[in-house]
Amino acid sequence: MSAPPRVRPAARLRRVVANVLFAVGLPALVLLAWEVLAKAPEDAVGVEKFYPGPFTVGAAFVDNWTGRAFAEDVLPSVYRLAIGIAASIVIGIAVGTVIGLARWLRESTEPVLEFFRAVPPPALIPIVMLLLGINDEMKIAVIVSGAVWPILLNTIEGVRGTDAVMTETADAFRITWWQRLWFLVLPAASPRIMTGVRQGLSVALILMVISEMFASSSGLGYRIVYFQRNYLIAESWSGIVLLGLMGVMLAVLFGFVERRVLRWYHGMREVERG
Amino acid sequence: MLRVEHLRKVYESATGTVEAIGDVSFTMAEGELVCVVGPSGCGKTTLLKCIAGLLRPTSGLIEMDGQPVTGPTPSMALVFQEYGRSLFPWLTVRGNVELPLRHKKLPRSQRARMVDDALVAVGLADAAKSHPWQLSGGMQQRVAIARAIAYEPEVLIMDEPFAAVDAQTRADLEDLVRDLHRTRGVSILFVTHDIDESVYLGERVLVLSTSPTSVRESVAVDLPADRDQIATRALPRFTELRTHVYGQIQRAKQHAGVPSAVP
Amino acid sequence: MTSPSDPRWRSLRKVVLGIAGLLAFLVVWQLVPTLGLVDREYLPYVTDVGARLAREVVDLAFWRRLGLTLQAWAIGLAFASAAAVVLGTAIGLVPFLRRATHTTVEFLRPIPSVAIVPVAVIIQGINIEAALIIIVYASFWQMFVQVLYGVADIDVVARDTARGFGLTRWERLAMVVFPTALPYIMTGLRLAASVALILAITAEMVIGNTGLGTLIMQSRSTPGDAAGLYAFVVVAGALGVIINLVFRFIERRALHWHQSVRGEEVL
Repeated sequence: MSAPPRVRPAARLRRVVANVLFAVGLPALVLLAWEVLAKAPEDAVGVEKFYPGPFTVGAAFVDNWTGRAFAEDVLPSVYRLAIGIAASIVIGIAVGTVIGLARWLRESTEPVLEFFRAVPPPALIPIVMLLLGINDEMKIAVIVSGAVWPILLNTIEGVRGTDAVMTETADAFRITWWQRLWFLVLPAASPRIMTGVRQGLSVALILMVISEMFASSSGLGYRIVYFQRNYLIAESWSGIVLLGLMGVMLAVLFGFVERRVLRWYHGMREVERG
Repeated sequence: MLRVEHLRKVYESATGTVEAIGDVSFTMAEGELVCVVGPSGCGKTTLLKCIAGLLRPTSGLIEMDGQPVTGPTPSMALVFQEYGRSLFPWLTVRGNVELPLRHKKLPRSQRARMVDDALVAVGLADAAKSHPWQLSGGMQQRVAIARAIAYEPEVLIMDEPFAAVDAQTRADLEDLVRDLHRTRGVSILFVTHDIDESVYLGERVLVLSTSPTSVRESVAVDLPADRDQIATRALPRFTELRTHVYGQIQRAKQHAGVPSAVP
Repeated sequence: MTSPSDPRWRSLRKVVLGIAGLLAFLVVWQLVPTLGLVDREYLPYVTDVGARLAREVVDLAFWRRLGLTLQAWAIGLAFASAAAVVLGTAIGLVPFLRRATHTTVEFLRPIPSVAIVPVAVIIQGINIEAALIIIVYASFWQMFVQVLYGVADIDVVARDTARGFGLTRWERLAMVVFPTALPYIMTGLRLAASVALILAITAEMVIGNTGLGTLIMQSRSTPGDAAGLYAFVVVAGALGVIINLVFRFIERRALHWHQSVRGEEVL
């Protein structure tokens, strides 16, 4: 095996610059064009009113989401989102494991679970509100009511598909039931479970927002409805930016966790491919 | 030590009943290295699984140290053919070898020592922190062997462990098995389809027939205990023995086997 | 007596257990308000919900509203799919475009459609156009990502062979790109269809354009109409199940055709 070719510093610099340009080129161009074409809110007429320039939106963003509003609206929402996600993961994995391990349980619960998974999550919100009233627990329950399904169903799939030879090995060495769960069943199912968690995260974010749109007096969803009712267009755009940022941050966070938990899996796949 | 009497195993399958094992009887004394060969499809793997307690026989007796075998016991350890699927990819080599020891209620230091010991015995002391998929096929199989011997069983049961490994590595692993047999005194029941391997390794070779499977013959291998890949395989006695075993298998493939000798 | 491993017995067992599970669920549901564990106002009897459903099913107004929901769903899905296939193919085939749009895509994709609702409503008002904006936005990404995967999966040898034979770009698109991307497009269609339904109903609930979502919201604000609320949610779930089944069927058919065609080519 020969040593890797030495990359000349100039070529490496070129590559870095190219990467950066690709990363920010299009967004920068779009923002620039938008800013140039947009008019200040005072001068805007008709349709132009609906598309305030990035600077206007940026100002609205800072006004609305930083400072006091951050503590009053953003943090509580994020807190509820975090609890909702954590509860969904715990419930989804625990129940999914139990169901996945018993064939009769799996087969008997399948129609009911598939039905619940197919219900559009926002449609469940009024029912949860009816059952729990209007409070923080309700908002968290709403998040769980939607995010738990992909985690639950993916856990079931992951747990039932444990490799037969590995199970036989565990049998042959008389590995205890509890150790089997911790060292075999759950790790083997973890790639599948992570897929479910990723899906659950997007559902959780959506439900967090919607749950605060009905009958709430604080939170991101509430603010967004407020903007809409008062025709605050720049502020509405800033809400999109904020939620986009939150979505990206969730994805990045998930990426970190996934890479750590599934390090063995990615390594194995790489070896298989290479 | 190990006694199998009139073992019979019948399967229900979608196409009808399959008699995987017809009538197998043999015994194995302590410290023996017994190889089992037979034509393909003669139920070698089924036989091993029944002995190891993973499958319940339809009829017959399996006894280990006088006690009937009803399920996996601590006196037997298994090495599978598919090492890739038998080792857990999320554990390190050390983690894999250690896993079966965890429920043996040993102090942690002793457990660690047993693991190190086993890894040194198979020549993998440096690979303890790697994951199985980072190692070659031969090394992975060594990990599986280390796991089995760390378990300190009375019998090591190996199911065609070197079938999926290249010839060069196979030679090294065969010598490793003989080595472990002599230094640790563990009994080994070794199933293979490779006739040369069975004669080279074994003190005795059990030749199985085709379905309904039974023991056609138990061939005593009277080669010297000190074996070498080149020297031993060049001995005329080696060729005699392997020809004899080969002939038995060919005849077994031609018609239903009739047991000719009982151990 | 056939053995337990017989496949026919196994699928029969599966159906029986499934039905048993469903019945058990309905029985528990009926028992909870009966035993007073939860008040009837909040969790109505299964029988009440069923009766309400039966009443709605013969009501023309119900079907009209349902039709509006499906209309928004269908239009949104069609737009989103068309746009995603075109853009996805164009971007996927040109490496420069793929690299240039990568960060933009990765930022826009996670934005939940509900965030766009206020902008959509301010611009369009409370009507189906506003709903379509958010339906299309969400479904587009589902399909787009799949098309990108599909285009990336093209067999390099096949592509180079086609180019070597001097096929025009359109011919290459039809004979190499399209067949490879087809299964991915079908998967994307299934995912997009499901997302489009969710957004269609969400839009009706949050924006207020008429449809199943507004029926749900009306029941919610009508005191004592818990049965209606549950009934409409069941309808929403049934819609989801049906759409899922239909598109799964379509996807499997397309894949089956796809594989057998490829099989022939290999021969």
